[in-house]
Amino acid sequence: MTASPNNGNNNQRMHVLLIEDAPSDAEIEVAELRRGGFDVTADVVDTGDQVRAHLGKNSYDVILADYSLPNFRCMDTLDILREKNQTIPMILVTGALNSETAVECVKQGAVDYVLKDNLGRLVQCVRRALEDTRLRKERTRAQEQLALKVDELARSNCDLEQFAYVASHDLQEPLRMVAAYTQLLSERYRGKLDSAADRYIAYAVEGATRMQALLEDLLAFSRIGRNGVTPAPTDVNTAVEEVLRNLAFTLKEHSVTIICNPLPTILADRFQLVQLFQNLIGNAIKFRGKATPSIAISADKLGEEWVFSIVDNGIGIAAEHKEFIFKIFQRLHTRAEYPGNGVGLAICKKIVEQNGGRIWVDSELGRGSNFRFTFPAASADRASKKEEYELSPQNLVSR
Amino acid sequence: MMEPMEVDILLVEDNPDDLELTLHALRRERLANNIFAVRDGEEAVEFLFCTGRFQQRDFDHLPRLVLLDLKLPKLTGLEVLKRVKQDPRTKALPVVVLTSSKEERDLIASYNLGANSYIQKPVDFDRFREIVKSTGLYWMVINQRPMSNPAQARRAASQP
Repeated sequence: MTASPNNGNNNQRMHVLLIEDAPSDAEIEVAELRRGGFDVTADVVDTGDQVRAHLGKNSYDVILADYSLPNFRCMDTLDILREKNQTIPMILVTGALNSETAVECVKQGAVDYVLKDNLGRLVQCVRRALEDTRLRKERTRAQEQLALKVDELARSNCDLEQFAYVASHDLQEPLRMVAAYTQLLSERYRGKLDSAADRYIAYAVEGATRMQALLEDLLAFSRIGRNGVTPAPTDVNTAVEEVLRNLAFTLKEHSVTIICNPLPTILADRFQLVQLFQNLIGNAIKFRGKATPSIAISADKLGEEWVFSIVDNGIGIAAEHKEFIFKIFQRLHTRAEYPGNGVGLAICKKIVEQNGGRIWVDSELGRGSNFRFTFPAASADRASKKEEYELSPQNLVSR
Repeated sequence: MMEPMEVDILLVEDNPDDLELTLHALRRERLANNIFAVRDGEEAVEFLFCTGRFQQRDFDHLPRLVLLDLKLPKLTGLEVLKRVKQDPRTKALPVVVLTSSKEERDLIASYNLGANSYIQKPVDFDRFREIVKSTGLYWMVINQRPMSNPAQARRAASQP
């Protein structure tokens, strides 16, 4: 038996499967739903075979099931739904139901129950069930989309990884061949070639060598963040000390004065932090002015972040170049003036941004530079809590 | 290349240009009399374990040094390295990885598998020659090996 739809209004359309053996009860339930503003079409069934057949060929918004049917255990509907991989909310609409049975039904997967002598609750109940289902479907869809994006990202990371690997191996080999064989040529034919030949050969070798250096730098840049970086609470003081040890020779060579204020502990990868400070301090020395280089390192907590500052008295940067210098392979000087490939600051920017920070420079040409970058401050607190958690006994056992 | 009875250095390199360069550098320094080259990982394994194309070879005549490229056809350099270092008969054989790349993961994988050294071939040929020279000098002259006779070394190693 099929109840006819109520046409001619803007009510919410709803297709209901009614599992009910009393036609009069079915009619009352449909009438109640219409009264509540639904444009209802309903199929009424009362055996397992019918339930299965209807669920197979129609799509329903909600199932209303009588708990006490002579020919069918209504809770079996849930098994049929699972079998068919359908998620349709089922509400029990029933005569007498003791509370234990009701709780048991809800536990098994019915969304709610309404007593037949209290049908006034039905509309509200159905509305909530529909809303819950809608939200659940939306969440599932969002999760699926997220999973898709994660997959996509993983694939593109994998491609990048593969690209870098191939570049590292396969692009360097031909370079070596060009350089090596031109060098061999120059040896074998020394004196048999004219004077320009040696110069040309030197250029070819220089070109290949520089290409290799560029390749290595490009790879170093692409490697940031893909070599399993593990941020941990890191004392920036010790990272800077390490940098100063690494640069000891240059610092001494140019009699550099370093003033280092107390620095905080932040959540970062130690190797990256060393790389970041080493590039910035190294630049401060490389681009020194006429005066003896002097570098001041400090950090201030501003709101939720630490702002680090590396001030030098070097040659400075013109305003129009302040953005440009952070781009990969961009340089403001010839190689003869200052060596390098223009990768250092690009690497700094990538490291800082990967950690959720920003980097910029305050400078005027000829008046020194103040390179500044931020790191989230809260993350370090969270990190120390995380560390405590990871060191709890049950975690130690599981490792 | 005819296979000599005693091989000083086994060179595993698939690229003929590269092979010629390395041979050139090695021969110039006169650090090894007999250098044998194989062109892929499979051939390297057959040579070292005296199987397949090299089943006539005597296992007691292991080379004194293997120079191993990583990117090889058929069997990668890492796979060759793994087999050499996992087999008690060849475990003590010095293997020097000599390759274009210094990808961190190759370095880590090579050392984890037991590589004795890892060298990136520089672009500059003069530097490459210096490196080949010092590598040859180190492994063929300076470095001490357990026993001169590998069979003897194996017997000694197998004693409890």
